[in-house]
Amino acid sequence: MTYRSSRRSFLTAGVVLPLTGATLWQETADRQAASSASAPQFSYRVLGKTGLKVTTLGFGCMITSDAGVIERAADLGINYFDTARGYQGGNNERMVGAALKRKRASLVLSSKSGARDKQRALADLDTSLRELGTDHLDVWYLHGKNSPDEVSDELVEAQQIAKQQGKIRFAGVSTHDPKVIVPAMARKGVMDVVLVTYNFSMDPGVAAAIEQGNKARLGIVAMKVMAGGFRERPGRGDSGTREKLKRAGAMLAALKWVLKDRNVHTTIPSMTDMDQLDENLRAMAEPYGAAEEKLLARQLDFITPLYCRMCGECTGMCARGLPVADILRHLTYTEGYGQFALGREEFLKLGPAVAAVRCADCERCTVQCPFGVQVTARLRRAQELFA
Amino acid sequence: MKAVKTFLLILVAASFAGAADDCRLASGWKPDGPSRTFTADDLYEYLDGGAEGYLIFGFVRLEHQTCAKGADSLVIDVSEMNDPDAAYGLFAARRDPRQPLRRIGMGGEILPNRASFAKGKYYVELTAMPGEEYRPTLRVFTVALEKRLTGRSTPPGALAWFPRGHTSVRLIPRSVLGLRPLKRGYVAEYSNGQAFVVTEATAQSAAAVLAALRRRFAGAKEAKVADEAFEFNDRYLGGVCIFRKGHYLGGYAHLHKGTEGVSLARTLASRLP
Ligand code: SF4
Ligand code: SF4
Repeated sequence: MTYRSSRRSFLTAGVVLPLTGATLWQETADRQAASSASAPQFSYRVLGKTGLKVTTLGFGCMITSDAGVIERAADLGINYFDTARGYQGGNNERMVGAALKRKRASLVLSSKSGARDKQRALADLDTSLRELGTDHLDVWYLHGKNSPDEVSDELVEAQQIAKQQGKIRFAGVSTHDPKVIVPAMARKGVMDVVLVTYNFSMDPGVAAAIEQGNKARLGIVAMKVMAGGFRERPGRGDSGTREKLKRAGAMLAALKWVLKDRNVHTTIPSMTDMDQLDENLRAMAEPYGAAEEKLLARQLDFITPLYCRMCGECTGMCARGLPVADILRHLTYTEGYGQFALGREEFLKLGPAVAAVRCADCERCTVQCPFGVQVTARLRRAQELFA
Repeated sequence: MKAVKTFLLILVAASFAGAADDCRLASGWKPDGPSRTFTADDLYEYLDGGAEGYLIFGFVRLEHQTCAKGADSLVIDVSEMNDPDAAYGLFAARRDPRQPLRRIGMGGEILPNRASFAKGKYYVELTAMPGEEYRPTLRVFTVALEKRLTGRSTPPGALAWFPRGHTSVRLIPRSVLGLRPLKRGYVAEYSNGQAFVVTEATAQSAAAVLAALRRRFAGAKEAKVADEAFEFNDRYLGGVCIFRKGHYLGGYAHLHKGTEGVSLARTLASRLP
């Protein structure tokens, strides 16, 4: 048997295929796809002031290793794709570019630079454009900024220069701290889009910040929509519960939870295979209901020993005067948002008396969290990291 | 018991940290701040979204050290992975396949401001800033670090399974070819397509995976390769031929028009143990 070329090989060879109804759904796999995801229903929202109409399910390409999954997502109708200069040592952009080349004009493509100065950021942008095989990005994010100071004037200037040169259409910032960054960007008025960590495990203040961003006409893209609680953590011995929740559909439920918030315009879950893509597509068509609520409650129970809701119920309970919720919030900067420096800085602002306390010196902890957070263990972790 | 645990922890930390904690491997360089260790739980603090790319390979921990020499700075990251295959897998995923592969440990590369290699269960990445050209310095550090790390210097045996002519071989940690039943395996890139091999625990489980794939690609035709095989055309996978040999699943995908998949698959099957 000899073979017809895959889309991928056409792309590599630079041949453009005509996209007609007849060329769609003609192979064996298409029958499979058609049965599992026949005529997926899409929902669209407008990405804030950009005016771009995006599918509420986008595609986070970060850990995808087969270009075919990305290509199929684009063929099915997903129109928002996200990558970054640093993903897979720079290889991710190249793969994404090859996978989307045929449909590039009809897609919204975003990438990011983690550079801290104008010159490097602009150099990163040129590399991104070259690797992605495109002459412009629709959204170019400043990567991982968690305090307004990090969105420096020179980085904003780099984005403006890139806009003037036609290399990007819109400017964005990605953050793990939406409560701080979204209101700050709404006030500052220099960004078009914010890419935020947002999921069911976060406190209501995040939703309020996102609402504020939407009201200021910022485009809102949600990442880490699965709450990281589905992540494999070698040696934790929790894989049984995690697998059970996954099989029961907790990931889809987590995605639906985010989509039910109309202030979010699109989402970018990571996808590695066709099955995951088909499953995630359902989030656009199916409602969020009691079953999903139940699943996410179980998932929350699973991650609860680590997860502080910042409710403040424990205020004044520590016999040695520790502001428990504050310290746990600073630990979240580090563990949840990847900001060690910020976490430590905020912790040290609590003063030397707080920094000197060691939970290990207490015989018994007087703090009782009604939600079951393992307060002593978490505080010891914070003291180990910051004090 | 606690004392024994503490001793073991110190022992493990000492043998691991040895590779990263000394910036003085090249003259004039010295540590710039303390070294830090990240585990799977807090790798996000350091790598942000990029952490996921490490975790899916089987990451244990990363030792991070920044070194300085005048205005230049060098970051040394030594990651301990579950096993040498995972270390090589991470190296292959992050290296630039357009650059030559160097004989450093199981494999390495040195670029103008970045170097990386894998040895034993360690993956090492060095990044120099802010200049454009640091290859001589990176060479000195990689040679010294490679000597200090213990473990295998020969690439994973799986690399030898693939016939000559490939441009790169990567370990795909999840969903080979974007197909969930093909959980984890190696993929080699050729100019006319991709070869892959997935190792299942038993011949029975391999047969079950093949049966599931056969059901999925309903129009597939039987082929004569190893224990059982079939082939088909797919919009996204191109020409595909998949076979089972004992507990191995292998084959070709993304084959270009006119390429004879079955004969290629037979050659690949003959090279598997
Ligand atoms: S530790 Fe518990 S009680 Fe204290 S703020 Fe967090 S969730 Fe509330
Ligand atoms: S163990 Fe920590 S949180 Fe509990 S009472 Fe002592 S200092 Fe306060």
